[in-house]
Amino acid sequence: MTIAADHRTDIPAEAAKNSRRRLPATERGTLGISVATFSVLAALWLVATKYHWVSSLFFPSPDEVVRQFVDVATFGYADGSLLDHVLSSLGRLFAALLIGVGLGIPVGLAMGINRWARGVFSVPIDLYWGLPPLAYLPLLIIWLGIGETSKIVLLTLSTFAPICFSAQAGVRSVPPERVNAALSLGANRAQIFTSIILPSALPEILTGLRIAIGAGLSTLVAAELIAARSGIGYMIMSAANFLAIDVVFVGLIVIAVLAFTFAFLMRLLERRLVPWKGKL
Amino acid sequence: MLQIRNASVRFPAADGSTVHALDHVSLDIPPSSIVVALGASGCGKSTLLNSIAGFLPLTEGSITLDGVEIKQPGGDRGVVFQKDTLLPWANVIDNVALGLKYQGVPKSERYESARKLLRLVDLTEFADKPPYELSGGMRQRVGIARALATDPKILLMDEPFGALDSLTRETMQQLLASLWARTEKQIFFITHSIEEALILGTEIVVMSPRPGRIIARYSADFVRQFAETGDIGPIMSDPRFIELREAIRDLIHRPDTRGFGGLQ
Ligand SMILES: Nc1ncnc2c1ncn2[C@@H]1O[C@H](COP(=O)(O)OP(=O)(O)O)[C@@H](O)[C@H]1O
Ligand SMILES: [Mg+2]
Repeated sequence: MTIAADHRTDIPAEAAKNSRRRLPATERGTLGISVATFSVLAALWLVATKYHWVSSLFFPSPDEVVRQFVDVATFGYADGSLLDHVLSSLGRLFAALLIGVGLGIPVGLAMGINRWARGVFSVPIDLYWGLPPLAYLPLLIIWLGIGETSKIVLLTLSTFAPICFSAQAGVRSVPPERVNAALSLGANRAQIFTSIILPSALPEILTGLRIAIGAGLSTLVAAELIAARSGIGYMIMSAANFLAIDVVFVGLIVIAVLAFTFAFLMRLLERRLVPWKGKL
Repeated sequence: MLQIRNASVRFPAADGSTVHALDHVSLDIPPSSIVVALGASGCGKSTLLNSIAGFLPLTEGSITLDGVEIKQPGGDRGVVFQKDTLLPWANVIDNVALGLKYQGVPKSERYESARKLLRLVDLTEFADKPPYELSGGMRQRVGIARALATDPKILLMDEPFGALDSLTRETMQQLLASLWARTEKQIFFITHSIEEALILGTEIVVMSPRPGRIIARYSADFVRQFAETGDIGPIMSDPRFIELREAIRDLIHRPDTRGFGGLQ
């Protein structure tokens, strides 16, 4: 007697279907196109500045930017080396993210699980989250001074909300059947939380972190443009005041590289922590 | 022994009326039996199973397991649904061992038990795979192994093979029959297939909708033969099988058993 289902007939169809679905042709296809687009844009930039289609006062040539990049990196600009500015920007961002994650995840999870927590926290969060952060920056500066505290609080506020909302959404996205199945396996409340709710909410939380990093970065630079003595935003603003367009470009490139790196790291983190995202 | 006495479940419907999902249902599920609830969609089969599992409170009546009233879900009742509820972040063996982990069984011990069960459902070489790399039939086998791991008193199965292709479905029926023949675990099984009900059930209760009621009960014993031979053909051509099948088919196509037109 065989009790075994025959998995030779059982596997291939679905496995094959899945693997094909997981590698959509569009994802591979765009890489070449993107590289081509980038090259065309770069070439256009080079040609446009070489033949003076645009004034170099407003639009520096690539080689000028590269030269300026090396210059700023070695000799610094606006009371600090390039590295100093990057580090002080990153320091603010990471401090804020740390607090935002540390508060946002537990508050969001509590809001997802508990009606009272949801009721109490949703009002203040909804109220401030609708405001553009720069609108209340002056208020924070009056309350907390022009130093680091006001900027870190500002960034914390802008990173907290997306993380909190996503943790809450993560809890609410847990399939009830999954919780029921765990209860039928004898899980108690604490085990339901740690073994079912937390991991089920993780993909959403990581999505929230990605949004928070984006929101944090743009708030950071904007805040540095208007109220800072260091940081990439400050460097850009100082350069703009002296019409040092090439330094402005250097700053923009640094920010673009940072944003790209964060996106890349987040994708790595997702692949590492939630390889099962979207499956099953 | 699981005893259902006068169980009713009513839901408020959207238009303000009341849905009698389950209406004064009484049913015993004795040890070593496979009780199959058969009926078209909407006749309250899942409602009944969810009440037994403790997911859904009864509006009226009671359900007791070995004399203890059921009030909430618990490890003494294993469940398997049509759509598996495996944890995608845990590999197959950890999924099977999940209930034992909840009980605080040390890792080496629970892996040992899980490996035995995986052998029983013939998935030994898939122990370290994540569930999403498995086919639907294999995932259901993991689900059954997981439900059996904590040795529940009763197994509750809601159309567990309903989403599988017919070939996989037959091997799963075979697997379940032989698992049952070995363990004699009591099983409450839901299906809308008359053949599946007859091939697996020691008792078959036919339900009808609005209100959800049991309208007929049959005994059958094809499952032992099926477990021994693993061959569905001779059973299907057994005159007693055909007679029962036709009787049930007649019953559910009779005009006075409302809402049964969709069942074959
Ligand atoms: N949560 C609910 N709210 C309202 N009506 C429900 C709910 N669950 C089930 N019903 C209704 O109860 C009846 C029985 O449903 P169900 O037990 O799922 O049937 P079956 O499993 O036999 O298909 C159906 O008419 C269904 O619409
Ligand atoms: Mg159902």
